[in-house]
Amino acid sequence: MTDALLAGDLPLPSRPNYLQHGTSVISWLTTTDHKRIAILYAITITIFFFLGGAAITAVRLELFVPNGGLFTSDTYNKLFSFHGIVMVWFFLVPSIPNTLGNFLLPLMIGAPDVAFPRLNLTSWYLTIAGGAFTVYALVAGGVDTGWTFYTPYSTMFSNTHVFAAAAGVFVAGFASIATGVNFIATTHMLRAPGMTWFRLPLFVWAIYATSIVMVLATPVLAISLMLVMAERWLGLPIFDPAHGGDPILFQHLFWFYSHPAVYIMVLPAMGVVSEIIPCFARRRIFGYDFMVYAMIAIAGIGFFVWGHHMFVSGQSPYASLIFSFLSFIIAVPSAIKVFNWTASLYRGQITFEAPMLYALGFVGLFTTGGLSGLFLASIPVDIHVTDTYFVVAHFHYIMVGGSVSAFFGGLHFWWPKITGKLYSEWWAKFAAILMYFGFNMTFFPQFVAGYLGMPRRYHTYPPEFQVYNVMSSAGAAVLAAAYLLPLGYLAYSLFYGARAGNNPWKATGLEWTTSSPPPPKNFDRQPRVNRGPYDYHAEGQSAGTDVPELQNAREVR
Amino acid sequence: MTNQNSASASKRPTTAWRLWRRNGVIWAALLCLLFLSLGLAYVQMGLFTPTVGIVIAFIKASLVILLFMELASSKALIKLAALAGLIFVATLFALTLADVLARVGGQ
Amino acid sequence: MSEVTGLLREPWEHFERQRGAGKFGIWVFLASEMLFFGALILTYAVCLIEHMDAFAAAGRETNIWYGTSNTAILLTSSLTMAVASQAAAAGQHLRRLVVACLTLTVALGLAFLVVKGFEYKEDLDKHLWPGAQFALHEPGAQLFYGLYWLITGVHAIHLTIGIALVGRLALLGHLKKLQLDENPEIEVTALYWHLVDIIWIFLYPLIYLPGRVS
Repeated sequence: MTDALLAGDLPLPSRPNYLQHGTSVISWLTTTDHKRIAILYAITITIFFFLGGAAITAVRLELFVPNGGLFTSDTYNKLFSFHGIVMVWFFLVPSIPNTLGNFLLPLMIGAPDVAFPRLNLTSWYLTIAGGAFTVYALVAGGVDTGWTFYTPYSTMFSNTHVFAAAAGVFVAGFASIATGVNFIATTHMLRAPGMTWFRLPLFVWAIYATSIVMVLATPVLAISLMLVMAERWLGLPIFDPAHGGDPILFQHLFWFYSHPAVYIMVLPAMGVVSEIIPCFARRRIFGYDFMVYAMIAIAGIGFFVWGHHMFVSGQSPYASLIFSFLSFIIAVPSAIKVFNWTASLYRGQITFEAPMLYALGFVGLFTTGGLSGLFLASIPVDIHVTDTYFVVAHFHYIMVGGSVSAFFGGLHFWWPKITGKLYSEWWAKFAAILMYFGFNMTFFPQFVAGYLGMPRRYHTYPPEFQVYNVMSSAGAAVLAAAYLLPLGYLAYSLFYGARAGNNPWKATGLEWTTSSPPPPKNFDRQPRVNRGPYDYHAEGQSAGTDVPELQNAREVR
Repeated sequence: MTNQNSASASKRPTTAWRLWRRNGVIWAALLCLLFLSLGLAYVQMGLFTPTVGIVIAFIKASLVILLFMELASSKALIKLAALAGLIFVATLFALTLADVLARVGGQ
Repeated sequence: MSEVTGLLREPWEHFERQRGAGKFGIWVFLASEMLFFGALILTYAVCLIEHMDAFAAAGRETNIWYGTSNTAILLTSSLTMAVASQAAAAGQHLRRLVVACLTLTVALGLAFLVVKGFEYKEDLDKHLWPGAQFALHEPGAQLFYGLYWLITGVHAIHLTIGIALVGRLALLGHLKKLQLDENPEIEVTALYWHLVDIIWIFLYPLIYLPGRVS
């Protein structure tokens, strides 16, 4: 990684980039290039995002007035179920790992591709297959169990397309596992010479930790759904209380995956933010080592807390105590990360490009969501607010305020690298700010409504909650506009945007040393790494010393 | 061209006989354990009877994983991968049973 | 070693690293399979704890001879698979042994499925499929059999996939269309096969041994 390369000064030979290398549809559908697979995934998750968004638009319209009457309660149940299933498994779980992760992981470690390129393509096809099942479930009439598929309702009493929806998620789960295996092997075996573990960008660490969670947690989800499908399709009594089945067992199996799943959804977001903040504050990340340990801790401890979703389900109080205690513990590494992001800003030269706006938004919204999680970890408080809008607000602050913000931030940050085009900064800033306000307007009233007792998953509510619902629905309209705007200006940039150089943000990282867009094999020469990441200037130094020659405090390892 | 997989001395050439012998011994042990567990299943030992069957299964699985799958002679990273799977299965069991046993009390 | 460059594939520059990555990758996948079958066995364990007597009564109805033979068959198939894998790693001179052992493994795997088929037929004749006609009346016995059909079915699917993978290697190796020696595919397939064996090793005492004490 030479300075001239980072500065974009060396004239690289002209050759087709990965977008031009084969232009037929077949070449895209049979590609093993991780960058093209990332684009395939990006298109897929965008479609699902808007499908899930359409469902929740209908929900928020219904909730505008206490007795909306737009939909029957059955249809309403199908709408929020579809929203949850699609947003969790077909948008959030694959979003950052399979789009940004797929594109950037090999680039950031200096590799020509992932360890198992054909498996990578298989993952995408599995996601498509799973999506097909789920869309079939929708088109055939929907599923009304909620995204959680709780038994015995899902196995014995629901008359909706539980099997198809569960099958869709089951298949998509294997895509997740395959991706996880691929990324773990890639990180271990394909790092460029000199790229030691503690020189890796935090995004790589985040994807690595996420992959471990994907590999170990997703199989249990597969089993939980397989049991539901077996009971429905073959009539085998597994969760049927009349035959001695234990419905709470389903919840154990389901949440053993679904709690680590939220870390699958948030760890990559944390990785993105850790890339953006140093670049736009021109400061190296504060406490790199602890950022790494914190991510590993979150990934690990995340497996021990699932029972906090079951405090009122009939779980034994002793187990609940253990889960509650561990849920408090897991707040610590997240807090360390928030502190370190904030400290990384100190005495920086901060600029507010769109990626930075999203990243800073993430820090605030994730903190709010995380703090509300502590309320939920406390059993007495949870008993009061469980199954209310308080919980809905909590996880949307993290999933939407956190993960989606980070996804948009990363999308904008790496857009020039992926497409070779520059987007309109004015429109991007406008959309980011609009999103922040729309988000808070949508979800903050839900904290209040939930605390005051409004239950979730109901299509009608007592009139005293109307003011909060009106605010929330209005906010949702603003949020929708903010999410549609990027479709416009990003698409515009593809055709009319200015050409991007290698390193428009003057960022560190191996991905910025190659052309925008990169050539099919990523690098013309295999990079050799001899310094750590985030080689921005140290605290107390001026931006004038922000030159790549500046030695990282770390010795060569 | 060195042979990295055979557990026998790396200098001697691998012959079919050596392979059959090494693996055959493990296989014989596995079959003995199988018939032992079969026999013990008919012996009244209270709660020990089912426990013994599961313990023997663990022993057989250990033989297969350490010797047939050569985990014992694999590099540390491979052992770590296997260990990770084991630790999280153990977690799944431990915390779920913490709930089930406290509720049901083994009735 | 020019013989192995035919097996080298992207993005690898050195065959040893490709092989190491394949071995590491399959072990990571096996870790996920541990969680997969672990969750199934946990389901069984929880139901067992909640219905100990019913499970003992139900376990008595399984055919211990079919079960024990099948366990012996799979253990033997692990032997032949291990020999095949180690012979392949040893080099060209044991090629015929590799093909022979791969073929034996397939045969043993198919033998397992045949025995299983007879066992399933007998179970159905004895009305052991959960439902209105179910043979046993203890509450919880149907639970045992619900799990029995599901878990053995999932295992059989995994075994069938294994038979297909091993069979492909045996056939292509026999026809000399695939280089067998030093081929990482054989080692990877062997590891998968052993996992299928290990699953059954755990299922045996859970399905066939309960309730034998009279």
